[in-house]
Amino acid sequence: MRRSTWKKRKSIIMGMICLLLFVQEAPYVSADGKTDAYHYSFWGDAVPSPAAYEATTIITGKKLNTTPMKEPSDMHVTANQHVFVLDSGNGRIIEMDRNFKLVRTIDSFEQEGKEDHFKNPQGLYVTEKGHLLVADSDNHRVVHLDEQGKLVKIVSEPKSDLLKADFQFKPMRIVMDKGERIYVMAEGVFDGFMEFSADGTFSSFIGANRVQVDPVEYLWKRFATREQRSQMVMFTPTEFTNLDMDEEGFIYATSGDRGKDPVKKLNAQGTDILRREGYQTPQGDLLYTQEAGPSRLIDVDVGDSDMYSVLDSSKGRIFTYNGDGYLLHIYGGIGNRLGQFNTPVALERAGDRMLVLDKALGEITVFQTTEYGRTLHEAVRSYYNGDEDQSSVLFAQAAEMNANLEYAYAGIGKALLRQKEYAESAKYFKRSMEPKGYSKAFLLYRKELMREHFSWMMSGIFLAVAAIVTVIIVRRQKRRTTNAGIK
Amino acid sequence: MQASSKQLYQYPLHLIFHPFDGYWELKYERNQRNSLLIAFMILVLLVITKILHAQYSGFLINLSNPKYLNSLLEMLYVIIPVLFWCVANWSLTTLMDGEGKFSEIFMSTCFALVPLLLIHFPWIWLSLVISAQETAFYYFSNALAIAWTVYLLFVGNMTVHQYTPAKTVLTMLLTLVAMAFMAFLCLLFFSLVQQIVSFVVTIYQELVLRG
Repeated sequence: MRRSTWKKRKSIIMGMICLLLFVQEAPYVSADGKTDAYHYSFWGDAVPSPAAYEATTIITGKKLNTTPMKEPSDMHVTANQHVFVLDSGNGRIIEMDRNFKLVRTIDSFEQEGKEDHFKNPQGLYVTEKGHLLVADSDNHRVVHLDEQGKLVKIVSEPKSDLLKADFQFKPMRIVMDKGERIYVMAEGVFDGFMEFSADGTFSSFIGANRVQVDPVEYLWKRFATREQRSQMVMFTPTEFTNLDMDEEGFIYATSGDRGKDPVKKLNAQGTDILRREGYQTPQGDLLYTQEAGPSRLIDVDVGDSDMYSVLDSSKGRIFTYNGDGYLLHIYGGIGNRLGQFNTPVALERAGDRMLVLDKALGEITVFQTTEYGRTLHEAVRSYYNGDEDQSSVLFAQAAEMNANLEYAYAGIGKALLRQKEYAESAKYFKRSMEPKGYSKAFLLYRKELMREHFSWMMSGIFLAVAAIVTVIIVRRQKRRTTNAGIK
Repeated sequence: MQASSKQLYQYPLHLIFHPFDGYWELKYERNQRNSLLIAFMILVLLVITKILHAQYSGFLINLSNPKYLNSLLEMLYVIIPVLFWCVANWSLTTLMDGEGKFSEIFMSTCFALVPLLLIHFPWIWLSLVISAQETAFYYFSNALAIAWTVYLLFVGNMTVHQYTPAKTVLTMLLTLVAMAFMAFLCLLFFSLVQQIVSFVVTIYQELVLRG
């Protein structure tokens, strides 16, 4: 008797402990103990994740055997992984090879026989041919140099009816497409990017951000008098903060404050064609405190297979998305440790490595992919290239390393679907919260099931209907006889 | 009138298909206690349906996070609107010379919810065996259930208060306004109470720390 009560009590206590365990949410632990890597789940919760990148070294001016960098503001990596850094404070460009050895510095160029210098340049772009484009901001011009550092042309003071008479051209960021058209993000320009044709004449604006109107503010404005209205802030579209160009010539752009879509992919007409099929639209952090505010995206880097990374200057984090807009990984941060930054300004991918330029410290942090990061990238790459079998294997590996990577389960589901494992496939799609894939797999599974069991199901239904009909007839018959009896 | 178990389900079913007869019976002919019992049962069943729906229905139509499913909250999501509706309706109709008593309003409202129950309950399981294209049926039947319920509410209101159709529509719309007003008052009240509580707590802490 006593024993049984103890047993009962024990089970109750165990049950309570279990309940307590369930009540307390699992504490936030980083997966490998070293980094603060995390990920956002389908529901928008921050979940732990293994690190996709690990900081390995820091490149400073001293390490390159040259004077320290002073407020560097932009960076570019070429196809052969040469790194070009725009050292704005010193008005020079530093080129280093793939092992971070100094190749050369360019601090001047020859113009009509005279030596000319940069004045606080802000943007740098290196074309496939190795031509350099510098947004020479305080000189109000864009300098185009060839691979030897010789002047090709200078673009300055654009003339057009689209521009105001007192317009001051101050280029900040710059890219050039294969047709040698130059796209410039200039300060104080709200109409989008300035497009210059190959000969350096201004042709048009592209890709302006739409004005975001706050309905309440709009209502106030409607009621305000003309004088009051003139005191109010104008509705102005947000400025872009950066741009990059992918292999196909599409411009990826980021805008500073979170309007509707802080990341955009612009086609030649300037329309936004970024795919936003992911769980959340690409926007940096989903969770943030009221004081800190949302992510302020200040750089974007497009890698291969449509993967792109954006840099958040307020939290110093780097978010990587695939071409469909699924979040792949997050890393970085503001702080004093290796792998954290003070004022990150630019982001560039060099093969397996990711470089982040810190403006205040004048250094470059080099990140190397971890095994997890490589697996994930490889999986995305194989999927992009159409090798779905390979990608599903790699996605399965990635999911093994990070069970929170819901996106990977869809990849496994796709493979299972092709192997005609419909039930399993539906399960994986469901785990991945992928209604389209789930529906497809489930339909096939249902069809299969029906085909298998159709005969006895149909006969069962037939029998059931027959039984019901007989019961009804018998009952009616009975009622009639009893009624007849009463009469 | 004897409340056999057969009557318990037969009467609500009769009412939703013949609302004019059904509500007339509800007001003038039926045992009020039995009807009240049935009304409460409908409400309880609806709560259960809602909870089961949130937990078990297929994920193609159910995009709520099971991690944050709270049965008590789900219960409130059903009970509070019904209660608000009844109170608002009663308050209004007393001023607009309606003939309904509160219990009648409550019963007629609960009986009007039967279609929601009847249609949503099977969908908990049906939704597990549909594909994305077939969710259209779900949304259609959902809309149908709501339309049916609104129609029943309309007939119920008309019969219980002995209104003309136009006046009933007006009353129902005003009831919605009154509900919004009540919600506002409730929020105001709770936020004031919260502030008073926090004020008292602060004073208490001050006293404790000084003393």
